[in-house]
Amino acid sequence: MIRETRGFPSPFTPFKEVPPGNAKAAENPMLKDKARIVRELEKIIGPNGVICEEDELRVYDTDGLTIFKAMPDVVVLPSSAEQVAEVVKVCHRETIPFVARGSGTGLSGGALPLEGGVLIGLNRVNRILEVDYENKRAVVEPGVINVWLTNAIAPRGYYYAPDPASQIACSIGGNVAENSGGVRTPKYGVTTNHILGLEIVLPDGEVVELGGKTLDTPGYDLVGVFVGSEGTFGIATKVIARIMKKPEAVKTLMAVFENLEDASNAVSGIVAAGIVPVSLEMMDNNAIQAVEKGVGAGYPLDAGAVLVVEVDGPRAEVEALVHPITEVCKKNRVREVRVAKDDAERLLLWKGRKAAFAAMGQISPDYYVQDAVIPRTKLPQIMAYISELSKKYGLRVANVFHAGDGNLHPLILYDSRNEGELHKAEEMGSEIMKACIGMGGSITGEHGVGREKREYMPLMYTEDDLEAMKNVKRVFNPDGVLNPGKIFPTGAKDVKAGPLGQRGIVEKVLGHS
Amino acid sequence: MLSEDILIQRLGTIVGPEHVVAGPGASAYAVDGRIPRAVTFPGSVEELSAVIAFASAERLGVAPWGSGTKIALGGVPERLDIVVGLSRLNELVDYVPEDMTATFQVGMLLKDAQAILGQRGQWIALDPPYTDRATVGGVLATNSSGPRRLRYGAARDFLIATRVVHADGKITKGGAKVVKNVTGYDIPKMHVGALGTLGILAEATFRLYPIAPAEKTYLVAFSAVESEQRVIAQLLDSSLVPNAVELLDREAARQIAGQVGLPWQAGHYGLAVAIGSVPEAVDAQIAALRTLCGNGGGLHGHVLDGDTHHGFWRAVRNFTFGDGQRAVLKASVLLAKVSEAVRKGEEVATRAGLRLGIVAEAGSGILRYSLCGDRPEGFPQGVAEAVNTLRAFTREAGGSLVVLEAPPEVKARVDVWGPAGSAFSLMQRLKEQFDPQRILNPGRFVGGL
Ligand SMILES: Cc1cc2nc3c(=O)[nH]c(=O)nc-3n(C[C@H](O)[C@H](O)[C@H](O)COP(=O)(O)OP(=O)(O)OC[C@H]3O[C@@H](n4cnc5c(N)ncnc54)[C@H](O)[C@@H]3O)c2cc1C
Repeated sequence: MIRETRGFPSPFTPFKEVPPGNAKAAENPMLKDKARIVRELEKIIGPNGVICEEDELRVYDTDGLTIFKAMPDVVVLPSSAEQVAEVVKVCHRETIPFVARGSGTGLSGGALPLEGGVLIGLNRVNRILEVDYENKRAVVEPGVINVWLTNAIAPRGYYYAPDPASQIACSIGGNVAENSGGVRTPKYGVTTNHILGLEIVLPDGEVVELGGKTLDTPGYDLVGVFVGSEGTFGIATKVIARIMKKPEAVKTLMAVFENLEDASNAVSGIVAAGIVPVSLEMMDNNAIQAVEKGVGAGYPLDAGAVLVVEVDGPRAEVEALVHPITEVCKKNRVREVRVAKDDAERLLLWKGRKAAFAAMGQISPDYYVQDAVIPRTKLPQIMAYISELSKKYGLRVANVFHAGDGNLHPLILYDSRNEGELHKAEEMGSEIMKACIGMGGSITGEHGVGREKREYMPLMYTEDDLEAMKNVKRVFNPDGVLNPGKIFPTGAKDVKAGPLGQRGIVEKVLGHS
Repeated sequence: MLSEDILIQRLGTIVGPEHVVAGPGASAYAVDGRIPRAVTFPGSVEELSAVIAFASAERLGVAPWGSGTKIALGGVPERLDIVVGLSRLNELVDYVPEDMTATFQVGMLLKDAQAILGQRGQWIALDPPYTDRATVGGVLATNSSGPRRLRYGAARDFLIATRVVHADGKITKGGAKVVKNVTGYDIPKMHVGALGTLGILAEATFRLYPIAPAEKTYLVAFSAVESEQRVIAQLLDSSLVPNAVELLDREAARQIAGQVGLPWQAGHYGLAVAIGSVPEAVDAQIAALRTLCGNGGGLHGHVLDGDTHHGFWRAVRNFTFGDGQRAVLKASVLLAKVSEAVRKGEEVATRAGLRLGIVAEAGSGILRYSLCGDRPEGFPQGVAEAVNTLRAFTREAGGSLVVLEAPPEVKARVDVWGPAGSAFSLMQRLKEQFDPQRILNPGRFVGGL
């Protein structure tokens, strides 16, 4: 068993999740001296930016994955990078665990203060500091909402490429931490492909610049290492991003299929034909039902699956791509290919896709989303397997996902009021992850490991592989005070591992008895 | 310290005696003039691991060696006992064309990898210098890239998984063989451009791209680099989607045009724009380019196609200058500063009495200065002055300057990497975590790491 050497409670000893409103972990220094520390934090930020009333704290006890809860002792809302650094210094000096939070839309419990302590909310550190069109760069603070940047530069014909479905709410700091993907990922990549520089506050309060506006700054690619580190390496206080010129032309197609298998084969066929669409998104019938009830995007209710395919680029290229895509769809028994006639139609198709998660409430009280990835040729196989599992567990699944990347999002539908259903949903989710790994895939494509999937890391990585990752963590966060309890498995069998803390699932899926 | 005989014998038991070179043969593997005590060629990742474990136990300084095309990059080794040649690790590990991912052992020549993928209309989107001789691992370890980076990004952008042999011989994997993955930290990126100082890459998995159905180049001359810069700015602000935008100084333009048999008027700067797409979109964009350049002072436009097009870009990638003493510097600057960086280079070269050729990836802000001197005596000092002046300029322009290639006498006078800024202490700690004994390329990386 690998252990980290550090003074702070190790993520490898079972932690206690802090139940809302209850007494905190006894060793938390916050408790002993809360009043003094709060006074000090107020001195840095002013009284308006420090929250310690329980009912107000409750807003911060969960993220987009609401089955986990953990209460912070104090929430601070700094409005500048300097204030962030000052707060971090206090936490470091007092060995108080702390965690950064952007908009709290994360889907792996990444922003939860698992050991209590200070939660640093970054919504007020939200200025677009600079847009440099000539050099194709924007410098923003972490609390800037993803879509603000694109909105700000659209008048000059520019945009910021990574566009998570949550882009109207999620922060760029959160995107950096999670290395978020978006619907444009097949062609334009994920967040890490668009971030060139960062200013970060290390867990001891030191402010460091990584990368810069230019490419290939000398030394190790620490920007590349930081992006996707899920808030465990430091707090990004400034982000240098690439901005791109809008394409001359865009075309969006909806391809309607009788069943998932044909749609999946069409996805593999498009990729194999050497076409790189901007987007290649799939929704199955359950997803279509939900979306149509929710926003009415015009997806046919009786379809087995629809693909939303977008191509962009120079006009002549875009025109030329529509035909081969249609041909691949036809080969796979497509019922209908509809090309959006104008921007309004295009936006409607996308509205449906982007609202899909939110629309699930139309067909199920609760859902649990998985984020595993498979090689794209395995799509038909995994889709068949998921529907088998759905029957086995007696839970419906709505699939709405980034098919072009092989990044699944099976939304396992359950009702938390029914005893044991969440347990079943989790068990089913773990079987999906395992199957994806068996096909050569990954347990998470964009949502991160966070709190949720940490026990499943051994599905994918050996102890040595994980040890190498821990070595990197030791460089940035040697004491582990920043965002404890994330990413790495606690390993112990008696740990509450699943979303609801149900025992046995992890052991079963990892093949322990 | 181990005696020569024992060293050779021990390596021989790991890789087979026929795969160990010592004595005079080893001088072909000198690094910055330092001759290793032995050169060893492991035939599998496991043998590589055993060699490194042995080196670790004996605290031997190790330099990994692909095919040596970029071995000149880096500081003079602090110590060098064994060179680990990776040329026998040259297998295709797996390739699923329909998934557009492929895994290679690092000793495979990039050219051979591209040939395998090319049969299926795919490629690793990398076109670095010396593509014909460089290995996959060498390209990754030096973060070597080329003109098409503008369109496709660099190795960091499509290296999706790695197998690495650590300084203690352990073998680990990072990333996953799928095009999207955030499980755990992004280990592959850590090794790109790290010169093997954190571990030796053994296998690399790439996300592949389809080869564009058609690609052509529009080459045009400019009498002043400033007007060329203005046209480039307009091009980058347009909806054209070039694969590469290359600015050639007068010397590079003359030589490269000559190499592919194009008429070229001395004294002109060159602008070469590669457009890749379906044929009709290539032609439409070239037509738009012609207008753009014509309006901006471009002279004598040529459209390059087929062999001329390919030969042209090969010449651009491999452009170096001078046969005897030469140095190659790489500057990275803001896009708007490229023409100034060209002028600065010209000034500096004249002052130092050096001859200069520049190829610049103007859409990425990366310039390669090739310097050579006619008088060997003044050369090291002249280059050192050029490095210092250009480095000061690039820093002011928000960028950096690295010496890619230079004789040891130059390296004795300048820091080849330049400062790593406030992130340096993190880099030091990273090195300490991954190579606490400092056996992997010691002293060669930034800040003497
Ligand atoms: C409906 C819906 C749709 C979604 N669609 C997508 C999608 O298409 N693609 C996708 O990738 N994700 C998607 N997500 C997930 C989520 O939106 C992303 O992970 C997003 O990047 C989180 O941003 P946030 O600001 O909400 O971060 P938070 O949830 O607040 O935090 C996430 C993590 O980032 C850390 N963090 C936050 N700010 C910083 C900072 N400045 N420095 C260091 N660490 C920081 C936190 O500590 C935490 O670990 C979706 C979520 C929802 C609810």
